[in-house]
Amino acid sequence: TQVATVFREAQRTTASHRKLAVTLRKIQEACCYEPTSAKKSAVAADDFDEDDFNNEFVRCVLRVMPVKKSEGVGEKTIRFIGLFLRHSIDKDNEVMGEVDEDTSTMPETPSTRLTAQLMENVLPLMTAKDKFVRYRSTQLISHIINSLDAIDDDLFQKLRSGLLKRIRDKEAMVRAQAVLGLGRLAGNQIEAEPNSDGSDDDASVGLLEKLLEVLQNDPSADVRRSLLVNLPILPNTLPFLLERARDQDALTRRAVYSRLLPALGDFRHLSLSMREKLLRWGLRDRDENVRKAAGRLFRERWIEDCAGTPPPAEGQPVEPSPPSIDALLELLERIDVVNSGVDNGVALEAMRGFWEGRPDYREAVTFDDNFWETLSAESVFMVRSFNDFCRNESNGKFESLIEEKLPEVTKVAFYLERYIKVLIDAIKRANGQDEDDEEEEDTVEQEFIVEQLLHIVLTLDYSDEVGRRKMFALLRQTLSIPELPDEVTKLTVDALRDICAPDAAGEKEFCSIVLEAVADVHDTIVDDVPADDDESFHSARSEVSGDSTPTKGGHGKSKSPPALSEEEAAQKAIKEILINMKCLHIVQCMLSNVAGNLQQNDHLVSMLNNLVVPAVRSHEAPVRERGLVCLGLCSLLDRSLAEENLTLFMHFFSKGHTALQITALHILTDILNVHGAQLLSSNPTLLKVYIKALRGSGNKISPEVQAAATTAVCKLLLGRVVSDHDVSAELLKTLVVAYFEPASSGNQSVRQALNYFLPVFCYSRPENQDLMRAVALDALHTLYNVREGLDDDDADVDDEMVSLSTIGACLVDWTDPRKCYTPGTSHLESEKKKDVNGDVHLDLARDILERLGGNVNKEEKKVIATLLGKLYISPASSEPKIREVYADVCSAVEEQLV
Amino acid sequence: PTEPTRQRKEKQPFEIDFAAPLDPSVAETIYTQATSNSTISMPKKDWKSKSRNLLPDDKHFSSRQLLSLFLKPKARMSNRRRLLTGRAFAFGSAAELQSGGGNDVPEG
Repeated sequence: TQVATVFREAQRTTASHRKLAVTLRKIQEACCYEPTSAKKSAVAADDFDEDDFNNEFVRCVLRVMPVKKSEGVGEKTIRFIGLFLRHSIDKDNEVMGEVDEDTSTMPETPSTRLTAQLMENVLPLMTAKDKFVRYRSTQLISHIINSLDAIDDDLFQKLRSGLLKRIRDKEAMVRAQAVLGLGRLAGNQIEAEPNSDGSDDDASVGLLEKLLEVLQNDPSADVRRSLLVNLPILPNTLPFLLERARDQDALTRRAVYSRLLPALGDFRHLSLSMREKLLRWGLRDRDENVRKAAGRLFRERWIEDCAGTPPPAEGQPVEPSPPSIDALLELLERIDVVNSGVDNGVALEAMRGFWEGRPDYREAVTFDDNFWETLSAESVFMVRSFNDFCRNESNGKFESLIEEKLPEVTKVAFYLERYIKVLIDAIKRANGQDEDDEEEEDTVEQEFIVEQLLHIVLTLDYSDEVGRRKMFALLRQTLSIPELPDEVTKLTVDALRDICAPDAAGEKEFCSIVLEAVADVHDTIVDDVPADDDESFHSARSEVSGDSTPTKGGHGKSKSPPALSEEEAAQKAIKEILINMKCLHIVQCMLSNVAGNLQQNDHLVSMLNNLVVPAVRSHEAPVRERGLVCLGLCSLLDRSLAEENLTLFMHFFSKGHTALQITALHILTDILNVHGAQLLSSNPTLLKVYIKALRGSGNKISPEVQAAATTAVCKLLLGRVVSDHDVSAELLKTLVVAYFEPASSGNQSVRQALNYFLPVFCYSRPENQDLMRAVALDALHTLYNVREGLDDDDADVDDEMVSLSTIGACLVDWTDPRKCYTPGTSHLESEKKKDVNGDVHLDLARDILERLGGNVNKEEKKVIATLLGKLYISPASSEPKIREVYADVCSAVEEQLV
Repeated sequence: PTEPTRQRKEKQPFEIDFAAPLDPSVAETIYTQATSNSTISMPKKDWKSKSRNLLPDDKHFSSRQLLSLFLKPKARMSNRRRLLTGRAFAFGSAAELQSGGGNDVPEG
């Protein structure tokens, strides 16, 4: 009875557990060690012996078994049981310890006997019919395993096999408990492995493997997460654990960043590619909390690993090390900033979060002359990311930091000039020598430095005339260097555009400056003609071409003058191609920055005629293709040019390779966007191009092209570029079919784009919703046929394609008038939307009824008939429409259609 | 003893009576074994997950892609359509929409 009293108290609060354990221990001692002291017999009844105590204890424990999962008392009591057993075993060992210290086998004590008896009683309950009994018994056993240091061997085997059966329990809650206990057992066995015999080894390996399998395959996220945080971290488990960074469940993904990785220790033990992946996955996760956890990991844990202070003792609060710039530079090196810091790399996001979350580093960082004179990839990225952060975040709150810490324009120009020179020298040196890895690596780093500097240049304020002139001259001069790498060229052109005034005059100045540079670059072909004069220079050049482009050299041969040897002629031809490519690239970069009318800009007209048009006619595929992009860009500036060349672009689509097809689609779509869709209406073939590309695989269209077409058509529809009803309907229907079709199941670009687009499109305008309504049943019909065509015997039908009723539900949902945006109301007020005009669904109802009366397949009728019940009938719909639908429904009922 | 009021609220609805004799129906619940292993186990087909419960690659599709030109990503599409930006965002934060990703996509 006293035991029961203790249990009664224990279920109420965990706060008194320690005290209660001591009390219960006294009772136990009184029962088990009766002879030792007279004082204790006063506490317990004299006629109560060990068996009685154990029986009473087990009896109380069993009372917990049927308690539902939601009841807190169950968990509290179970925790108390674990605490008590632990306490009581410790006490027993104190008593025993004096007697026998060296024994390697476990001594038998009252507590081990109690534990054994308890387990024997609870074990069979793990296969009880009632799910809560299974849950509590499994929870108890796992908890006890995690509370105790050692377990008797026989008992261990029984627990293990009992728990192993439960990892396949029907109930996720039971499985989650089972893996908790097994995770501990797996960890224990690995530690013990060196001493254990072969059979044990097999068993533990088997156990771990089973658990890893559960980690990957269990349908319940709770189970997977529970394993994620409880499995031992070992070389052979780590890959499986890290893989959970892409788990379907957001909480599990977050646990990777907030629990697993911090527990892992020094991140530098991870491979470079793993670090990059984890960072990228985490910072770009679809769930905000995962992104936050990943950001914190980067700016609090990883930097700490680099800052090198030893980890604090257990239990002590983690105190961040004082800011160390060297540590930050190392951190950037450890995430391979040369590769992760490029345009789409994750390093910029990581550093944005870093500067945001570490005001201490914001304060500590300084950029003095010495800093600028000795830039490395890491340090330049540090300053670039700092600059970006201060300019873009928190509404300019940190802009004062830039004035304080960054040098003025003139100085930046001075350093940029210096590093451009270093880069060009490095490139020339690398070209002169045969492949030298070290040189090449150096070139890559120098290129990266210049790129980052240009990114800073792009953000500077050019109101200071001296600085502006200096920068302008430098950029102009830089652009004339034929060796300038592509990305640097692009940034240089962008920066030039920024420095010129934003108005039409500025644009003209910009064009003339860039085209001057293009002429300079082009002249290097002519300069080079007297090849005999400068033999060594010439051959050095041609070597570049040999390994830097995939261009075939043979094509130009026949054109060469007889004076040159065949080899020289080939080299000259290659060089010509390269220079042409370079010029076209500069022009392309320039055109992306131009918005004015083409015909009003003489520079552009002559460039079009002298450079772009010949390029499009070139026999060299790379030149031709780059010319095409430039022609496309020009077409955006001139409507008649666009019209003239529409057929040409379509030709490139139908005859080109995948990349060219995508370029052609991009050009065509941009043209329609800029000049309006009349071009589409007047060109039936153009619509066919889109439809063909959208339908994908059946038409020898690669997944990439299908994805590009999907995005393109989404743009056209959402931007209301296409206005013709029939054209829009055809496109939209094709998109809906593509979304559900099993053929696109492997094409995530298509699926994710449509997953975004379809609801946005439908809910943004009532007209769009009505268009969806108009195509819904046709699309469903097509999809019905698709599904019929699937092999019914194939068990995977449901894997490949969702059911027709799901599709129908989607269509109803997309056309739900309550979800549509109406001007003046925010999305949040959607509850008020009950009395919205619901004609869309009424029309859909009529469409459905009409089909039911038609001669479609019976099965299909069944599918669409069920949709009727899901439609929203609003009192605010137009009255005649309601009446009409009512009449239709009545007659349908009479004719027994429904 | 620290927060008596709150605790009372929690425990009032349910408490185990350890002293009372075991109700026969409860005893039955505890001691009734499952008729067979399969009735309390997951069907074997659920043991393996084709996707290993992992997400597909995120393509990070966002409104920005729909509102810019392919060839001139920096330039916004013409003024006529600028209105749309506001609309596209009216259906939830950009991140939320973007996150739709594979989750809501019919798996296949």
